[in-house]
Amino acid sequence: MTAPRTDDGDGRTADERRGDGDERTGSPSSATAATDPLLRVENLHKSYGAEEVLRGVSLEIDRGDVEVLVGPSGSGKSTLLQCLNCLTEIDSGHIYLGDTEVTASDTDPNEIRQQIGMVFQDINLFAHLTARKNITLGLRKVRGMSADAARERADSELDRVGLADQADSYPAQLSGGQKQRVGIARALAMDPEVMLFDEPTSALDPELSNEVLTVMDELVDEGMTMVVVTHEMRFARGAASGITFLADGQIVERGPPERLFENPSHERTAQFFENISHDHD
Amino acid sequence: MTEGTDVTTATERDPVAGTESRPTARDRLRSSFDRAGHLLAVFAGIVFWGWLLTRWLYDWVFARLGIGPGAGEAFLSPAPFEALAASLSSAAGSFGPLGVPIGWLASAADAAALGVEIGPALATGAWYTVLLTLSSLTLGFCIAVPLAILRVYGGPVRWLALAYTELIRGTPLLAQLFVLYYGLPLSAWLNDFSVVGRGFVPGYAFWIAILGFTINGSAYQAEYIRGALETVDEGQLTAARAIGLSKFEGIRHVVLPQTLRYAIPAWTNELVYLIKYSSLAGFITVPELYYRGNDIASSTLEYTSIFGLLAIVYLGLVLSATNVMGRVERHVAVPGLGGAEGRQQEATE
Repeated sequence: MTAPRTDDGDGRTADERRGDGDERTGSPSSATAATDPLLRVENLHKSYGAEEVLRGVSLEIDRGDVEVLVGPSGSGKSTLLQCLNCLTEIDSGHIYLGDTEVTASDTDPNEIRQQIGMVFQDINLFAHLTARKNITLGLRKVRGMSADAARERADSELDRVGLADQADSYPAQLSGGQKQRVGIARALAMDPEVMLFDEPTSALDPELSNEVLTVMDELVDEGMTMVVVTHEMRFARGAASGITFLADGQIVERGPPERLFENPSHERTAQFFENISHDHD
Repeated sequence: MTEGTDVTTATERDPVAGTESRPTARDRLRSSFDRAGHLLAVFAGIVFWGWLLTRWLYDWVFARLGIGPGAGEAFLSPAPFEALAASLSSAAGSFGPLGVPIGWLASAADAAALGVEIGPALATGAWYTVLLTLSSLTLGFCIAVPLAILRVYGGPVRWLALAYTELIRGTPLLAQLFVLYYGLPLSAWLNDFSVVGRGFVPGYAFWIAILGFTINGSAYQAEYIRGALETVDEGQLTAARAIGLSKFEGIRHVVLPQTLRYAIPAWTNELVYLIKYSSLAGFITVPELYYRGNDIASSTLEYTSIFGLLAIVYLGLVLSATNVMGRVERHVAVPGLGGAEGRQQEATE
């Protein structure tokens, strides 16, 4: 099912990593990962004009964690993801990926983006390229892979998301769910340390959402570090290692899904989950 | 005829398709008209380009080797057409009012005789027109793409592109040509190149005209490309940057390939304009198509027939240009991108 991913940062295949379970201190190579979070956000501020979208957000995400960001619209979830990926400039604060400060002035944002995969709400497949070429573009131009190697890698990623037979289809010929799966494959092909999902299923019918969520569930099983903005509470309950509730640009509450769903400590959080469950039932 | 019956039997074998698409007599008539029109267009194209290419090849190569009537001389003699015109017009006179259509035929034969006579001059003129148009369009395109990118993504320096575009689009092309030709010492500078104006290389006026049309065309093309750039969804560039491409690489590999597909119809328009606008080069003594025609007309005073023939040559060039660009558009068409897909489906039906 999974292609061997030997150049995975920690030098192990996904299957080996899954075997580790929670004992991440087991092997020497991942000892640092246990002590240092993979992704660290410190006191992040971001404004669009007069409107302050993020007001001092701090967050730590360990390797292998699946953090689900929830919150009302306009709470700053998507902006936070864009800041993590340097797609938006921040006003103040710090972001670290491993030992690298993402927000340092001498850090090349293109290098950071290679290590962080991003999946968009509006999918954004390259409209003029086939599914396969959507994936090979980054491999060829960013990684400098040969045409054959890139093609092989692209095909194995498409196979991974169950779209081996659609390699030569153009985005306009794919369903929404298929497009989003190609979008995930495109991000995965770059061997990211972290995958960011910005409402990956919001633009899709419930039926099509499921095929995307299945792929995401598989990624969770493989031990991928993920930060997911979503309203899919089923995914949050089943896959999240932590849930962060944001409102008005600040983290209101953070904790394991069981506690936040069953016993939130803030009225605001309880209210939000109440509203969501009404919407979805 | 046989093809028509084939279609009928094919649809009868397939009852489901038959109910939907059994061709009516009107459809068959229309499709046979379409076929005839298509054949006629192909035939006209072959005659037109066959004549031009033969003429050019002959004037450059065979005439220089001393074969045939000599460069710029007609292959055929206009005498038979003139004789035909004379006998037709005398016949027209003897038929009274019924002779009017015969008189038209006489005029046509007259025009044909004139066509044979001035054909070589028009072919040479057409060579300059084609060369001028194609090189200016290509060079203008090379300036227009960076210009449009600067205009859309340039940030603080985008006003540079705006100023250039508005200055060039806001002043008459003829004035620009005059400034380049009379106002600047370009001719003296170009004459220092010993190859200019010798042998196959056209004189300096031609090079100045290319410069003028390149500058002018680049401003118009930049606007077309800018429009197309803005059509491409912003998310495309975001997605390109998200996989680690720089902004420039994203524009180069993701935004531009889509932009240029969107820009083809407008670009075709620019090509068509330029074919005819290139006649302004005649005002700075470039011996292109219009210049030749006008030159002959002012000495023979047969303005109507000569400009009629001139129009036919321009029409041939323009129709060829739109045809080629249509093919290019269909060739690079991608499902879901721009309007080419829909038109292509119509074409393949």
